[in-house]
Amino acid sequence: MTGRRAALVEGWPIFVTAVVVGIAFGLTARQAGLSIVETSAMSVIVFAGAAQFVMVDLLRTGTPVPLIVLTVLLLNARHLLMAAAIRPFVRAASLPRRFGLAYVLTDEAFAMGIGWFRRGHRDLAYYAVFSTVLWCSWNVGTLLGAIFGAGVQDPQRFGIDFAITAVFVAIVAIGVRHRADVAVALAAALVAAALRLAGASAVAVVVAGALAPLVAFAIREEQR
Amino acid sequence: MSVWIAIVASGIVTYFTRSLPLVVTMPGRAPARLRRYLDALPTAIIAALAGAGIAVPDAQPTGGAEVLAAVVTLAVAAWRRNLLFAVIAGVAAVAALRAAGL
Repeated sequence: MTGRRAALVEGWPIFVTAVVVGIAFGLTARQAGLSIVETSAMSVIVFAGAAQFVMVDLLRTGTPVPLIVLTVLLLNARHLLMAAAIRPFVRAASLPRRFGLAYVLTDEAFAMGIGWFRRGHRDLAYYAVFSTVLWCSWNVGTLLGAIFGAGVQDPQRFGIDFAITAVFVAIVAIGVRHRADVAVALAAALVAAALRLAGASAVAVVVAGALAPLVAFAIREEQR
Repeated sequence: MSVWIAIVASGIVTYFTRSLPLVVTMPGRAPARLRRYLDALPTAIIAALAGAGIAVPDAQPTGGAEVLAAVVTLAVAAWRRNLLFAVIAGVAAVAALRAAGL
């Protein structure tokens, strides 16, 4: 299967999710007092699902702008790690193309793209097609939600909201190659879960993702 | 006005985090330890996203449905090695478990 086709075949549940969650975001933003233009502009300019929900909540509660921006930076700092991890695969692309690929880097695009690379592929088509379609899905969803108000009322009932988490679980399960991977994955999941349960949502993924790889060093050194 | 400042500034810091490692060329070859660290990063970040999403799915701590559904997803993924099957199984499991009151 070509990268382009595989991205569409494997990606469609996530695209559907992005439209549905995008509608929910559009709705939430409008209810918080943002205009249709502001709502859509946020999805185009920021293009980061979790951060956008946080932003709307902070704007609604009158949080000072510098604090909002700092929170977004903390929440999205994980992109630094993801970009560093996909760097070897985009090294050959031109600078303008890398600027474009960076703009559409999301948790989902990273996870799916790395899944493709881990299966031994080296072409960028999978990542590029997946992330571009995801961008379209998110923005179409946002616009629909912002304009039409009513939309999907209860995505939880159908488990749709769980799809993205399930994707992450499956990618880890399929991608682990040796014992150190398993240890790193378990450490990361537990630390992130603990931090989020403790209320440190903004930094949970950054901290757990940055610390857990250190477990791999401990395990490999013990084996020597 | 402050809404627009928040949107544009957040967009800038977000794009900065996405683009910096991709567009800045570092001289020479990264040391072995750093490469091993970066090699383990994808698994760590994806697992962290999974763990956080399972623990607190929607601003509320999980009632257990997400934990069990994650186990189902994990089992199907390990068994079939197929992303799509695993995700469908996970979503169906979480819907069923929530309907069952978890």
